[in-house]
Amino acid sequence: MIEAGPPAPPLEIAGLTVDYGERRAVDRLTLTVRPGEIYGLLGSNGAGKSSTIKAIVGLLRPTGGAVRVFGADAVGDGLLAKRRIGYVPEAALLYEALTPREFLEFVSGVRGLPPAEASERLRAYAAAFRLDAELEEPIATLSNGTRQKVLVIAALLHLPGLLVLDEPLNSLDPRSVKIVKELLRRYVADGGRGALLSTHTMEIAEELCDRVGILDHGTLLAEGTVDQLRVRAARGDASLEDVFLRLTRQDEGLPEAVASLRGL
Amino acid sequence: MAEGGARRLARTAFVELAFQATYGLRQGNPLPPTGGRGLPAKAGRRVLQSKVLIAALLAFLTLGTAFLIGLAPNPVYRPAGLSVPMYRVGLVSGLLGVDVGLLWWTGLQALPSLLGAPILEVLRPLPIPPATFRRTAAIVYLRLFDVPAGVVAVGTPLAVGLALGPIAGVAVVPASLCAVVFALALALETARFFVRRIQGARGGGGSAILRWAYLLLWLLPAFGLLAFATAGPPFLRALSALGATHGIGPPDLIAAVFPVPLALWPILSGGVGAVPPPVAGVALGAGSAYVGLAAVAGAWLVRSVGATAVLPARRSPERGAAPLAVRSQRAAWAIVTKDVRIASRTPGFAFLLLLPLLDAVALGLVTYAGAPGTGATRAVAFGAVSVAALLATFFGPAFFALEVIAQSYARTLPIAARSLVLGKVSLIALVYVAAGALVLGITALRLSAPAVFAAFVAAELPAVVAAGLLEMGLLLRWARTRGLPVTSLYASTWNVVLVALPGLLLAVAPLAAYGAAGLAAMAAVALAELAAVAPLVLRREGR
Repeated sequence: MIEAGPPAPPLEIAGLTVDYGERRAVDRLTLTVRPGEIYGLLGSNGAGKSSTIKAIVGLLRPTGGAVRVFGADAVGDGLLAKRRIGYVPEAALLYEALTPREFLEFVSGVRGLPPAEASERLRAYAAAFRLDAELEEPIATLSNGTRQKVLVIAALLHLPGLLVLDEPLNSLDPRSVKIVKELLRRYVADGGRGALLSTHTMEIAEELCDRVGILDHGTLLAEGTVDQLRVRAARGDASLEDVFLRLTRQDEGLPEAVASLRGL
Repeated sequence: MAEGGARRLARTAFVELAFQATYGLRQGNPLPPTGGRGLPAKAGRRVLQSKVLIAALLAFLTLGTAFLIGLAPNPVYRPAGLSVPMYRVGLVSGLLGVDVGLLWWTGLQALPSLLGAPILEVLRPLPIPPATFRRTAAIVYLRLFDVPAGVVAVGTPLAVGLALGPIAGVAVVPASLCAVVFALALALETARFFVRRIQGARGGGGSAILRWAYLLLWLLPAFGLLAFATAGPPFLRALSALGATHGIGPPDLIAAVFPVPLALWPILSGGVGAVPPPVAGVALGAGSAYVGLAAVAGAWLVRSVGATAVLPARRSPERGAAPLAVRSQRAAWAIVTKDVRIASRTPGFAFLLLLPLLDAVALGLVTYAGAPGTGATRAVAFGAVSVAALLATFFGPAFFALEVIAQSYARTLPIAARSLVLGKVSLIALVYVAAGALVLGITALRLSAPAVFAAFVAAELPAVVAAGLLEMGLLLRWARTRGLPVTSLYASTWNVVLVALPGLLLAVAPLAAYGAAGLAAMAAVALAELAAVAPLVLRREGR
C-alpha cells in the first residue's frame, strides 16, 4: 500500500527567475508558505516583490523556475492555481464602470460560487466594512480605501487556500485595518490555509507575519521568524526595521544622509 | 509660461497618452517582456498609424467625391432628374457629413483614454498658470485629431478645387473648417455628457434603463450620419426640388440645414445662375450663420477642453441600499453581463452594441415607409439579415477590447479561455439576433411574414457564431504569442482589419450562397462554417 505523502503547502516557489529584457528582477528565488502561516515578503523598491507576486497570480510568465499553489503548477496550469488564490493587488485597478455589487457578482460568477453562499458572505463582509451605502455606486466614484475594501472582499469571497496580499492595508482607515488584520489571522489559522503578504511597513510585518523573507535585488537575502532575523543581524532587541536595514546594508551611510538634509 | 511651454507640456502629455492607450500600465498591465526602452516611441508610432489609417479613409472618400464631381456632367453617372449643380451639392454635402461623423467617431474612441487615465490631472498640482494648462489640454485634445482633421481641412478644398477650379476650392474652405470644428465640439460635448451623466450613474435596474436611454441619445449623431448615408436617394430628390417654387417654400428649407448651405458655396462661386436666387440667398445666410457658430464653438472648445480633461465623475445622490444578493451565473454569462454593464456606462462600447440595433431600427423604418409588397418579403428579410450580420461581425472583435479594462485584476481570476471566447461570441450573437428581431418587429407591421424573417435570421446565425469564434480565437492567439497585453491588439487598426476581415468573409459566404442557390444553401453553408470553426477554436481554447 502506498502511503499518501504530506499535503502540498499553500505556496512553493523554486528557482523563480523573472527578466525584463536584460534586467533581472527576480533571481532564482526559492521560498515556501506553510499551512497556517502568514509569510511576509519585505524588500526595498525594485527588490522584486511585485514581480514575484505577479508571477504567482499569473500576471507575468517567469523566465524560469516553478510556482506551485497546493501542488498545482501556477505557470503550466494557471487556472487551477488561480482557483485557489485570493489576491489583493497593491493598486485598486478595477472595473470603474461597475458598482461593487456588480463587480463582486462578476467575480463570484467566474469563480462558480453558489449564489446563496456568495450573497451571505458578501452581506457579512459589507456589514463589517460598512460598505452598504457604496455597493450601488460606480467604482469610479469611490475612494481608494473603499476600493481596497472591495478588493479584500473579492479575495475572500471564495474562501481561497492561499491569500496573496500586496500592501493590503494601504489606503484603509484604522477601523478597516483592524478588521483586515483580525480577519487574516483567523482566516489563516483555519484549516491549512496560508498567506503571502508583501509590505514596506515593518510594523505590519512584525505584528502579522509568522516568518518573513527579505528580498534584495531579486534574491532572498534572509528568511525566518523576526527573532531569527534579529540573531542573524546581530541586533538582539532591534526593531524589524533596523534588522531589515542592517541585512540589506541600507544602514550604511544612513546617519550621514539624514545629517546632510539638515538646514534644507 | 509662454505658448512654447504649453506645447512642451502637451508633447510630454501626449506621449503618455499614447503610451497608456497602447500598453495600459496605469491599468496594472506589466511591461512587455522586451523591456521598457523604445516602448514610448513604439506607442507613438502605433497611435500615429491609427490616425493615418482614418486619414487615409477620409482622403479616399474625398478623392472619390472629387472624381464623382468631375463626372457629374455625364448623365450616365448622375441620378435622373437631378441637375449637375445640385448633384454636386449633394456630393459635397455627403462628404462633409461623413467628415463630421468620422472625426467625431475618432474622438469617441480616443476620449476614454484621455479621461480614464489621469494624464492631465498629473499636471494640476504643478505651478502651471491656468491659461497654460488650458492651452496644454487643448493641444493634447487637438493632437488626437490632427492628421484626419488636416485631411478634412486641407484635402477637401484641394479636391474640390481640382474638380471645379481654384475659386470653388477656396469657397469650400469655410465648409471644411466648420466640419472640423463641429466634429471636435461634438466629441467634447458628448465626452462631458458622459462624465456628468453616465460615469457616475448608480447600479440597479431603473438606473440601467436610464443609462441606456442616455447612451441612445448620446449616439444619435452617429445614427444621424447612418441615416444620412442610407437616406441618400431621398436627400438627392429633395435637392432636385430646390427652387421649384417661386420664392422660398418648405422644400427649400433643406438649403438651411448643415452642411447643405456651405456645400452650395463652391457651386455658387461658379456663378449664381447655377442655383435659384432665393436658394442662393438661404445658402449665403445660413452658411454665414454656421461659420459664426463654428467660431463660437471653436472658442468654447479651447475654453472647455481643459476643464473637461480633469472633470471628476459626479456621484449620484445616495439612496437606500438595495437588497444584497448575488445572482447565479455561469462564467461565460458572467462575462456577458459584465460587458453589457460596462458598455452601459462607456460610450465607446455602448456604440458597438447600439449601432447595429439602431441600424436595424433605421432599416425597419425605411422598409416600413417604403411600403413594400408581399412579394418583397424575402428581399427585405435578406437585406435585414445581411446588415445585422455584417455589423455584428465587423464590430464584434471590439468587444475583446473590454478585457483591457482592469485586466491586471481580471487575469488573476480563473477565467478559462473557452469561457472568455464563448462569452464574447454570445454577445455578438445576441446583438445579431436583437438587430434581426428589431427589423422583424417593425416590418411585421407592414409585412406579416414572421416565419420568413425568422428563417433568414436562423439560417445566418451559425455563420455569425462561426465568425465570432474565429475572430476571438485569432485575438486570443495573438495576445498569447506576441506576449502583449490584449490592449495592444487594438492599438493598431491593422490588427482589427486582419481579425475582422476573416470574420466578415465567413458572414458573407452564406449570403452569397443565398444569392446563388436559395435559403437552404445559405443555411447549409452557415452550418458547415460553424462545424469547421467551432472545434478548431474551442478545442484549442479548452485549456
